[in-house]
Amino acid sequence: IKGSGQASLKYETVSKLLSSFFKEDKTKLSADAVVLMTEMLKVFVTEAAVRSQKQAESEDCNQVEIEHFEKILPQLVCDSVGSALLLF
Amino acid sequence: MTEDADETQVRRLKAAVHYTVGRFCQKIGEEHRREFSRQAVAAIAETTFRQCDIFAKDLEAFARHGKRTKVSVEDVKLTARRSAALSNYIQNRSEELALQHNDLKKTTGKKRRNTEEDTRE
Repeated sequence: IKGSGQASLKYETVSKLLSSFFKEDKTKLSADAVVLMTEMLKVFVTEAAVRSQKQAESEDCNQVEIEHFEKILPQLVCDSVGSALLLF
Repeated sequence: MTEDADETQVRRLKAAVHYTVGRFCQKIGEEHRREFSRQAVAAIAETTFRQCDIFAKDLEAFARHGKRTKVSVEDVKLTARRSAALSNYIQNRSEELALQHNDLKKTTGKKRRNTEEDTRE
Protein backbone atom coordinates (compact mmCIF):
# COMPACT_ATOMS: atom_id res chain seq x y z
CA ILE A 1 0.00 0.00 0.00
CA LYS A 2 1.44 3.25 -1.15
CA GLY A 3 1.46 6.53 0.68
CA SER A 4 0.98 5.44 4.27
CA GLY A 5 4.03 7.46 5.30
CA GLN A 6 4.87 8.62 8.78
CA ALA A 7 1.35 9.52 9.87
CA SER A 8 0.51 6.78 12.32
CA LEU A 9 -1.30 6.07 15.53
CA LYS A 10 0.78 5.81 18.67
CA TYR A 11 1.09 2.35 20.18
CA GLU A 12 -0.20 3.75 23.43
CA THR A 13 -3.35 5.06 21.73
CA VAL A 14 -4.02 1.75 19.97
CA SER A 15 -3.51 -0.13 23.22
CA LYS A 16 -5.95 2.11 25.11
CA LEU A 17 -8.40 2.05 22.23
CA LEU A 18 -8.57 -1.74 22.03
CA SER A 19 -8.57 -2.16 25.81
CA SER A 20 -11.55 0.19 26.07
CA PHE A 21 -13.58 -2.24 23.94
CA PHE A 22 -12.68 -5.40 25.86
CA LYS A 23 -15.57 -6.86 27.82
CA GLU A 24 -13.37 -8.03 30.65
CA ASP A 25 -10.90 -5.88 32.54
CA LYS A 26 -8.42 -8.71 32.91
CA THR A 27 -7.88 -8.99 29.15
CA LYS A 28 -4.44 -7.60 28.29
CA LEU A 29 -2.50 -7.05 25.07
CA SER A 30 1.03 -8.28 24.39
CA ALA A 31 3.44 -5.61 23.10
CA ASP A 32 3.80 -7.34 19.72
CA ALA A 33 0.04 -7.62 19.33
CA VAL A 34 -0.20 -3.83 19.76
CA VAL A 35 2.46 -3.28 17.07
CA LEU A 36 0.58 -5.54 14.64
CA MET A 37 -2.81 -4.02 15.43
CA THR A 38 -1.36 -0.57 14.73
CA GLU A 39 -0.36 -1.91 11.30
CA MET A 40 -3.82 -3.38 10.78
CA LEU A 41 -5.50 -0.07 11.55
CA LYS A 42 -3.06 1.75 9.30
CA VAL A 43 -4.01 -0.60 6.46
CA PHE A 44 -7.70 -0.10 7.20
CA VAL A 45 -7.53 3.71 7.17
CA THR A 46 -5.32 3.73 4.07
CA GLU A 47 -7.73 1.43 2.25
CA ALA A 48 -10.66 3.63 3.22
CA ALA A 49 -8.92 6.81 2.05
CA VAL A 50 -7.48 5.35 -1.17
CA ARG A 51 -10.77 3.76 -2.23
CA SER A 52 -12.73 6.96 -1.45
CA GLN A 53 -10.23 8.95 -3.46
CA LYS A 54 -10.59 6.58 -6.41
CA GLN A 55 -14.37 6.87 -6.20
CA ALA A 56 -14.11 10.67 -6.31
CA GLU A 57 -11.71 10.36 -9.24
CA SER A 58 -14.12 8.13 -11.18
CA GLU A 59 -16.84 10.74 -10.68
CA ASP A 60 -14.55 13.59 -11.75
CA CYS A 61 -14.89 15.37 -8.42
CA ASN A 62 -12.22 17.71 -7.09
CA GLN A 63 -13.05 16.92 -3.51
CA VAL A 64 -13.57 13.59 -1.78
CA GLU A 65 -17.03 13.82 -0.23
CA ILE A 66 -18.78 11.67 2.34
CA GLU A 67 -20.89 10.20 -0.50
CA HIS A 68 -17.75 8.75 -2.09
CA PHE A 69 -16.81 7.09 1.16
CA GLU A 70 -20.35 5.80 1.63
CA LYS A 71 -20.17 4.09 -1.75
CA ILE A 72 -16.99 2.17 -0.93
CA LEU A 73 -17.92 1.42 2.71
CA PRO A 74 -19.83 -1.88 2.28
CA GLN A 75 -17.03 -3.53 0.32
CA LEU A 76 -14.41 -2.14 2.72
CA VAL A 77 -16.15 -3.66 5.72
CA CYS A 78 -16.69 -6.97 3.91
CA ASP A 79 -13.02 -7.11 2.97
CA SER A 80 -11.74 -6.39 6.46
CA VAL A 81 -14.06 -8.55 8.52
CA GLY A 82 -16.47 -10.79 6.71
CA SER A 83 -18.01 -11.55 10.05
CA ALA A 84 -19.30 -8.03 10.67
CA LEU A 85 -22.98 -8.84 10.37
CA LEU A 86 -25.52 -6.17 11.17
CA LEU A 87 -28.47 -7.62 13.03
CA PHE A 88 -30.70 -4.57 12.81
CA MET B 1 -17.48 10.10 38.52
CA THR B 2 -15.90 7.05 36.89
CA GLU B 3 -18.41 7.23 34.04
CA ASP B 4 -17.38 10.81 33.40
CA ALA B 5 -13.73 9.73 33.36
CA ASP B 6 -14.57 6.95 30.90
CA GLU B 7 -16.40 9.39 28.67
CA THR B 8 -13.49 11.82 28.61
CA GLN B 9 -11.18 8.90 27.82
CA VAL B 10 -13.41 7.80 24.92
CA ARG B 11 -13.61 11.37 23.63
CA ARG B 12 -9.81 11.67 23.77
CA LEU B 13 -9.33 8.39 21.92
CA LYS B 14 -11.86 9.41 19.27
CA ALA B 15 -10.06 12.72 18.85
CA ALA B 16 -6.73 10.91 18.44
CA VAL B 17 -8.21 8.61 15.79
CA HIS B 18 -9.85 11.56 14.03
CA TYR B 19 -6.56 13.47 13.97
CA THR B 20 -4.55 10.57 12.55
CA VAL B 21 -7.22 9.74 9.96
CA GLY B 22 -7.15 13.41 8.94
CA ARG B 23 -3.41 13.25 8.36
CA PHE B 24 -3.69 10.06 6.33
CA CYS B 25 -6.42 11.59 4.17
CA GLN B 26 -4.41 14.76 3.66
CA LYS B 27 -1.41 12.74 2.54
CA ILE B 28 -3.35 10.55 0.13
CA GLY B 29 -5.28 13.58 -1.11
CA GLU B 30 -2.09 15.49 -1.83
CA GLU B 31 -0.76 12.61 -3.91
CA HIS B 32 -3.81 12.84 -6.16
CA ARG B 33 -4.41 16.62 -5.94
CA ARG B 34 -7.71 16.05 -4.26
CA GLU B 35 -8.93 17.22 -0.87
CA PHE B 36 -11.04 15.25 1.56
CA SER B 37 -14.09 17.10 2.88
CA ARG B 38 -14.32 17.41 6.66
CA GLN B 39 -17.40 15.18 6.63
CA ALA B 40 -15.56 12.47 4.71
CA VAL B 41 -12.68 12.52 7.20
CA ALA B 42 -15.13 12.38 10.12
CA ALA B 43 -16.96 9.43 8.56
CA ILE B 44 -13.74 7.49 7.98
CA ALA B 45 -12.65 8.24 11.56
CA GLU B 46 -15.98 7.05 12.99
CA THR B 47 -15.83 3.85 10.91
CA THR B 48 -12.26 3.20 12.06
CA PHE B 49 -13.34 3.66 15.66
CA ARG B 50 -16.15 1.13 15.26
CA GLN B 51 -13.84 -1.23 13.40
CA CYS B 52 -11.61 -1.13 16.48
CA ASP B 53 -14.56 -2.33 18.53
CA ILE B 54 -15.03 -5.31 16.20
CA PHE B 55 -11.28 -6.06 16.18
CA ALA B 56 -11.05 -5.81 19.97
CA LYS B 57 -14.02 -8.14 20.57
CA ASP B 58 -12.54 -10.67 18.10
CA LEU B 59 -9.10 -10.51 19.73
CA GLU B 60 -10.59 -10.99 23.18
CA ALA B 61 -12.66 -13.96 22.01
CA PHE B 62 -9.65 -15.60 20.30
CA ALA B 63 -7.49 -15.14 23.40
CA ARG B 64 -10.21 -16.62 25.60
CA HIS B 65 -10.57 -19.56 23.24
CA GLY B 66 -6.84 -20.16 23.69
CA LYS B 67 -7.42 -19.99 27.47
CA ARG B 68 -5.37 -16.83 27.80
CA THR B 69 -6.13 -13.38 29.17
CA LYS B 70 -3.33 -11.81 27.14
CA VAL B 71 -3.94 -11.14 23.44
CA SER B 72 -1.03 -12.60 21.44
CA VAL B 73 0.34 -12.17 17.92
CA GLU B 74 -1.49 -15.37 16.92
CA ASP B 75 -4.82 -13.75 17.81
CA VAL B 76 -4.01 -10.78 15.57
CA LYS B 77 -3.19 -13.18 12.72
CA LEU B 78 -6.59 -14.81 13.16
CA THR B 79 -8.29 -11.41 12.99
CA ALA B 80 -6.49 -10.69 9.71
CA ARG B 81 -7.15 -14.12 8.17
CA ARG B 82 -10.10 -13.15 5.91
CA SER B 83 -8.09 -11.01 3.54
CA ALA B 84 -5.20 -12.83 1.89
CA ALA B 85 -3.23 -9.63 1.27
CA LEU B 86 -3.69 -8.33 4.80
CA SER B 87 -2.97 -11.73 6.25
CA ASN B 88 0.33 -11.98 4.32
CA TYR B 89 1.28 -8.46 5.35
CA ILE B 90 0.65 -9.16 9.03
CA GLN B 91 2.46 -12.50 8.77
CA ASN B 92 5.55 -10.77 7.34
CA ARG B 93 5.49 -8.05 9.97
CA SER B 94 5.18 -10.60 12.76
CA GLU B 95 8.15 -12.52 11.35
CA GLU B 96 10.16 -9.28 11.30
CA LEU B 97 9.21 -8.68 14.92
CA ALA B 98 10.24 -12.23 15.86
CA LEU B 99 13.61 -11.73 14.15
CA GLN B 100 14.16 -8.48 16.03
CA HIS B 101 13.47 -10.25 19.30
CA ASN B 102 15.88 -13.04 18.41
CA ASP B 103 18.61 -10.52 17.64
CA LEU B 104 18.02 -8.84 20.98
CA LYS B 105 18.17 -12.16 22.79
CA LYS B 106 21.41 -13.08 21.02
CA THR B 107 23.13 -9.81 21.91
CA THR B 108 22.07 -9.97 25.55
CA GLY B 109 23.08 -13.66 25.62
CA LYS B 110 26.55 -12.78 24.30
CA LYS B 111 26.91 -10.02 26.84
CA ARG B 112 26.04 -12.41 29.61
CA ARG B 113 28.58 -14.93 28.34
CA ASN B 114 31.21 -12.22 28.08
CA THR B 115 30.69 -11.10 31.64
CA GLU B 116 30.87 -14.73 32.76
CA GLU B 117 34.22 -15.07 31.01
CA ASP B 118 35.36 -11.84 32.60
CA THR B 119 34.57 -13.10 36.05
CA ARG B 120 36.37 -16.36 35.31
CA GLU B 121 39.48 -14.49 34.29
